[in-house]
Amino acid sequence: MFYIHQTSCITAQQSFVEPTLRSITESVENKLYATENNYDSIPPNVLRRLGKAVKMGIATGNEVLAKQEVDGIILGTANGGLEDCIKFLNQIIQYQEGRLTPTNFVQSTTNAIAGQLGIMYKNKGYNITHVHRGLAFENALIDVEMLLSDHPTNTYLVGGVDEISEYNYTIEDLAGSYKKEILSNTELLNSTTDGSIAGEGAAMFVVNTVKSNATAEVKAIKTFVTKKTETLEKELSQFINTALPKGEKVDLIVSGKNGDARLNNYYALVENQLKETPTTYYKHLTGEFPTSSAVALWLASMVLSRTEPLALLKIEVANPIKNILLYNTYKGNQHSFILVSAV
Amino acid sequence: METAELKHQVKEQIIKFLNLISVTPADIKDDEPLFGEGLGLDSIDSLELIVLMDREYGIKITDPKDGRKVLTDINTMVAYIEQHRTK
Amino acid sequence: MDRIVVTGIGIISAIGESVESNRLALKNSTTGIGTLELFETNYASTLPFAEIKRTNNSLKQQLNVDALNITRTSLLAQHACNQAILDSNLTKAELESADTALINGTTVGGMCLTDELYQDANRNSTTSPYVESYDLASVAIYLQELYNIQGICNTINTACSSSANAIMYGARLIHQGKAKRVIVGGVDSLAKFTINGFNALHILSSEKCKPFDQNRSGLNLGEAAAFLVLEKESDCKNKKPYAILSGYANANDAYHASALSETGDGPYEAMSTALAVARLNPNDISYINAHGTGTENNDLAESAAMIRLFNNVPPFVSTKSLTGHTLGASAAIEAVFSILALQHQELYPSANSVQPIEGTGLKPLATFQKAPVKHVMSNSFGFAGNCSSLIFSIV
Repeated sequence: MFYIHQTSCITAQQSFVEPTLRSITESVENKLYATENNYDSIPPNVLRRLGKAVKMGIATGNEVLAKQEVDGIILGTANGGLEDCIKFLNQIIQYQEGRLTPTNFVQSTTNAIAGQLGIMYKNKGYNITHVHRGLAFENALIDVEMLLSDHPTNTYLVGGVDEISEYNYTIEDLAGSYKKEILSNTELLNSTTDGSIAGEGAAMFVVNTVKSNATAEVKAIKTFVTKKTETLEKELSQFINTALPKGEKVDLIVSGKNGDARLNNYYALVENQLKETPTTYYKHLTGEFPTSSAVALWLASMVLSRTEPLALLKIEVANPIKNILLYNTYKGNQHSFILVSAV
Repeated sequence: METAELKHQVKEQIIKFLNLISVTPADIKDDEPLFGEGLGLDSIDSLELIVLMDREYGIKITDPKDGRKVLTDINTMVAYIEQHRTK
Repeated sequence: MDRIVVTGIGIISAIGESVESNRLALKNSTTGIGTLELFETNYASTLPFAEIKRTNNSLKQQLNVDALNITRTSLLAQHACNQAILDSNLTKAELESADTALINGTTVGGMCLTDELYQDANRNSTTSPYVESYDLASVAIYLQELYNIQGICNTINTACSSSANAIMYGARLIHQGKAKRVIVGGVDSLAKFTINGFNALHILSSEKCKPFDQNRSGLNLGEAAAFLVLEKESDCKNKKPYAILSGYANANDAYHASALSETGDGPYEAMSTALAVARLNPNDISYINAHGTGTENNDLAESAAMIRLFNNVPPFVSTKSLTGHTLGASAAIEAVFSILALQHQELYPSANSVQPIEGTGLKPLATFQKAPVKHVMSNSFGFAGNCSSLIFSIV
């Protein structure tokens, strides 16, 4: 389908960026905050207005756009700058719909990140923000796949971003998305209770149809909704049969398992159906958020482009890795498969 | 309040309200344009400052175009506050 | 390439709850802008709005909806979607097939529940029925479950051009063979969030908006939903399509987070690229449904772009002068209006525009007229520089 050339990522784990680090950043009260180390790439007059999601999106965007120009910007974010959104909401109530400051409002619109990148790079090309909750990033990938099919000589930025804010934590907590007990992320994958822990992050990719010098190929993507494991089983067989080249196998599963006991049956099903394939996990390192599959794709492209995979992932695969299957379900309703392959 | 003191206070309020990064009151000259060149503020900032005038000094500016005249620089802003403040 | 045709349309707006009633209001210039009767806000007495005069309870009754957590946004979307599906004669099997996609554009989503969201976000209660209802995706996810649609489902937010991009994304899914039929459109309902947001930007007019008038003083917010069913022409030979979706484009103005460049670069890019996709020349366009919000900035930028692109700017209208600015829904309802112009070979007038903007000489169409209409362009521009244009053509 298309090739990944540049990548960048911000999550709670600084070690993702500096692979020699082996220490794990731990969660604070069931939240795994992204490490914000450096926003030097954002001009101060822009930076002062931005909430964390926009900052993370722009900083990761800058990192890859400094290396390669693009013809358009395609982002996925379920909530964008939700912190700003609720700040504005609080103003509405606090000042009883009086004279309010517009910055929170302008920054809270989910398309602010793609728009700001467009402004900073004077990029007048295709610019869009997909916001379909747990499939926002996947729809961005489908979009870029279609764009590259129509415009095979173009290059695009595609990425996913979401932030933890006190407010969306509260709302998701009311929805039962997070654990009732405080749990360290290092224990997350062994947990037997309902809920996960909150995470945030951003991952950006420069993609095109050029194979040479690419770090990885995105070979196929499939999104679907179901609550039934039988449907998941059927979709997985179909995906593997159509996406995987004849004679090849899946060498590694990057599983979105998030410690929520209610979702274990979905993740277990995928592992059982591909019994011979080792599985690695990442949500104990990033926490759960709607566009976390962007980070999974980043991890997969790291695994494929390094001689030594990231220490934190603890990947033990005997042979070189060729095909990686990413599986994620958001709340046991929205599901996605992404097949990423070595070039 | 003395004018000089008020000017300092307004500068501090502008920095806080607009979340200006690494700018101190000393960096803002009294007669330097707030918009365009100078501090580099834009139309959204002018709307923010109109709210500042309301919340801090009880001054209601309804037309943003009037706002831009009042908000030309610290001198014009402070002169307007001294004349029209209701708190 | 196989042509993509419109086989079903559905709409609800402040000027009508059906396609026919919307058309009648457009012909007669019956405005939907006026005093709020249902929605509660401090601005009810000072600002006009384009409100759909139907309570949530009445909508729920009509649509047979019991659940407490279905928002007004979802109800309006369901109303319009039902019409479009019925109009296109989609069977249950087609609707539930894996090659049917659903794409929604919205900017408010479930945030019309502003007060409930405030309570929940600040943890003022221990349980809430609304926690899954607030986000933008909630509407499409609700519709997908309601109709049991098994294909690709997506929600797009590009501010006021959201539903143009939903229509475009759907058309591209068909071109790429990822779907055989798509239900595409957009919705937004009035919300304290947007009312106060636009008010903080000083762009809400205290009178009925006057798009493209020298003395325009801002926009009026409205609420609406519209959906289209798109199919490949060769797949629906037994149907009589309304129109062809012949061109579409998405571009960015890359100028400012909440304003368009005075030269209208983004609008120009969107319009000219849509023409290129449709393989048309500017003088092929019979009629433009302009974005025309009535703000100082938009109408000037859009005028500049139209003048730059067209030797003679074709007849144009801002239907927002009747429907208000319905944000994420605006491109979808204006797509329906463009399709109606083609279907009935008629041009709808713009209300309240008297004096052309200085230096442009552009005056929107003032009276209803019958005219040959071959290709209609519909513009939608939004915050963050998101500009899109669609072109509909006669079959």
